Amino acid sequence: MLKSKRAEMLTAFVLIAPFVLVYAVLFVYPTAKMVQLSFTNAPLIGDGDFVGFDNYIRVFKDRLFSTAVWDTVYFVLLTVIPSTLLGLLIALGVNRLKGFTQSLVLAAFFLPYILPVSVVYRIWSWMFDKQFGIAQYVISAFTGGTHVAVFRTIPLFMPSVAFITVWWLVGFNVLLFIAGLRNISTEIYEAASLDGASRFAQFRRITWPLIWPVTVLVMTIQLILQLKIFDQVYLFANGGRTDATIVLVQYIYKWAFQKNQGGMGATVSLLLFAIIIIFSVLQYQLLRSRGEK
Amino acid sequence: MIKSILKKALVTTALLTVATFSAQAKDTIVWWDFLGGGDGVRMKAMIDEFNKEHADTVEIQATTLDWGTPFYTKVQTSAAIGEGPDMMTYHLSRLPLGVSSGALSEITPEELAAAGIKGTDYAATNWKAAQVGGKQYAVPLDIHSIVLYYNKDLLKAAGLLGDDGKPKGLDGAANWDAALAKLTANGVQGLSTATADGATLWRIFYSLLNQQDGQFMTADNKFLDGANLDKAVKATTEMASWVKNGWLAPQTEYPASIALFTSGKAAFHINGVWEVPTMVDLAKNKKLGFEWGAVQLPTFYDHPATWADSHSFAIPNNKGKEVPAAKRKLVLDTIAWFDKHSLEWAGGGHLPAFSPVREGADFKALKPNSDYSTLAATAAFDPVSVLAGVASPVYDAAGNFLIPAVSGDLAPKDAMDQMRDDLQGQVQ
Repeated sequence: MLKSKRAEMLTAFVLIAPFVLVYAVLFVYPTAKMVQLSFTNAPLIGDGDFVGFDNYIRVFKDRLFSTAVWDTVYFVLLTVIPSTLLGLLIALGVNRLKGFTQSLVLAAFFLPYILPVSVVYRIWSWMFDKQFGIAQYVISAFTGGTHVAVFRTIPLFMPSVAFITVWWLVGFNVLLFIAGLRNISTEIYEAASLDGASRFAQFRRITWPLIWPVTVLVMTIQLILQLKIFDQVYLFANGGRTDATIVLVQYIYKWAFQKNQGGMGATVSLLLFAIIIIFSVLQYQLLRSRGEK
Repeated sequence: MIKSILKKALVTTALLTVATFSAQAKDTIVWWDFLGGGDGVRMKAMIDEFNKEHADTVEIQATTLDWGTPFYTKVQTSAAIGEGPDMMTYHLSRLPLGVSSGALSEITPEELAAAGIKGTDYAATNWKAAQVGGKQYAVPLDIHSIVLYYNKDLLKAAGLLGDDGKPKGLDGAANWDAALAKLTANGVQGLSTATADGATLWRIFYSLLNQQDGQFMTADNKFLDGANLDKAVKATTEMASWVKNGWLAPQTEYPASIALFTSGKAAFHINGVWEVPTMVDLAKNKKLGFEWGAVQLPTFYDHPATWADSHSFAIPNNKGKEVPAAKRKLVLDTIAWFDKHSLEWAGGGHLPAFSPVREGADFKALKPNSDYSTLAATAAFDPVSVLAGVASPVYDAAGNFLIPAVSGDLAPKDAMDQMRDDLQGQVQ
């Protein structure tokens, strides 16, 4: 009996060994190395000398770090909830359509999602171009003829990039919500309408609670994704007043690749890692417990 | 994008396959560059020519990689594990960082002499910019700078065109301002330049600073120290006045700034020589609608000076893989060959670094390059520092402080104070 259990253990170990090995080499080791790097003054390539908590002190003293944290949080606020709600709204609409029309409308909303970020950047930067952009006709109507350099005006930067991000990524949320909506049995709705429940009451009492797990999932995915924001902010601010709109990953990039200081890059990466874990676990727990009530 | 990557992958694979099966007797040189633009086409033609000429002896296997930070990161990582190429292109302004990270291999005077490369064949400032701490790390291929593009038709109407077809009476800040004022009329603005692009503004600013003998960074790592700050404020104030007076549109993106000039909506345009092919091609296809030219930037202050950078050739310091002397000799011979054949490279707007070519009759006949080739003598290269050069913290600072100063959102004095403090804080 004991022997066979040991044999079983051995088999189990052999079977999971490849995964454990790959996981250790590709995840555990680099993570440990990054923690170690954050206590050194290493350049991008190669080792450095141990400097204790110097990097951390330097990061917390750096004015740009607080800008980066605030800009990242601001961007998350501007994107996560709007893109989740908009996704649900569109999904509810699309779900009421049938057959070919439904596929067509769904495709229309999903189309931006398949574009690479560089293409998204090109499209919107030309549309909003101060001299030649087509969107300037709309802007002129509000400003009385003055053209506005949208991505070069600091207060407008984050909201407009957030708007473009929502436009770009909402298709994926719609897809998840539609899958969720289709899982809700039609019988529940039939029973509700027999009881004389209004459309709004049906949404409030049936759809909203039953779609809640999907909502939590979408919000968590969005939160992690947007905390790691880099591409759009980097592209739209490129060459301009980048410090005013810097986000955390951009700040890491600046230290590690531009200034060739791997130790500082690792330090900020570790801090971002901690922020993401705290935020996402908090949000997930908070939302899940609320949904269970 | 995907198509071009696929194409690159296919070409690379094909090259590798050819390399594997070709005769062993032939030497190969693995070459990396970042020339993906219009000038890259010219470089590929030159490489083909080289390979044809050396069909029995040497073959260059070239790969074009992404320009800027990605290129320099790749060079650094590959050199660290001994997997770098045999030779590569390099911006002279980015040399200090390459040397400090140990990615570049020193080229000794003996090696240079053996390949027949002489410092006296290059403009003195250019040759010096290829050194760090007195040691040679690169051989310049070209000098590229900013120039003043002009619309001959508009200038003629304003009486600012000389009999030689070049602008007249622009030297001195007051004269330049008067010319811009005169040219700004009927929906045309005097000047267009990429006012939303820190790099472009940096190049203009650095030219104006050097025209007053201002030093952006002193040898003991002090940014805008003492009187240099006043000179910087003076240069910035001048640039801001162009916007303030309505001669130059603020917050203009790079492509839009070119379009303003090529559509005849701006009389002058300040931009890099690398846009010369754009103008040449438009004019050739009769899409420009006016006569154009390009000259050296006017002298605003004490003497001529123009910001410049250089494409050069460098050898990576492949760790753990000592390159045999014979191979290094071959690489340096190849570099010498490209410099001697750099007339073709000049078609991309650049000025050949190799003086015998730049001063030769063939180049003198090449328009408009020869109209602005005088700038090489007074070229002002970026400060020698790991913080300066292409895509560096200095370029970032230009974006953060010059843009708002020029557009009038920040007073020039405040902008320069903040720029100095920001950069000084990054000195280690």
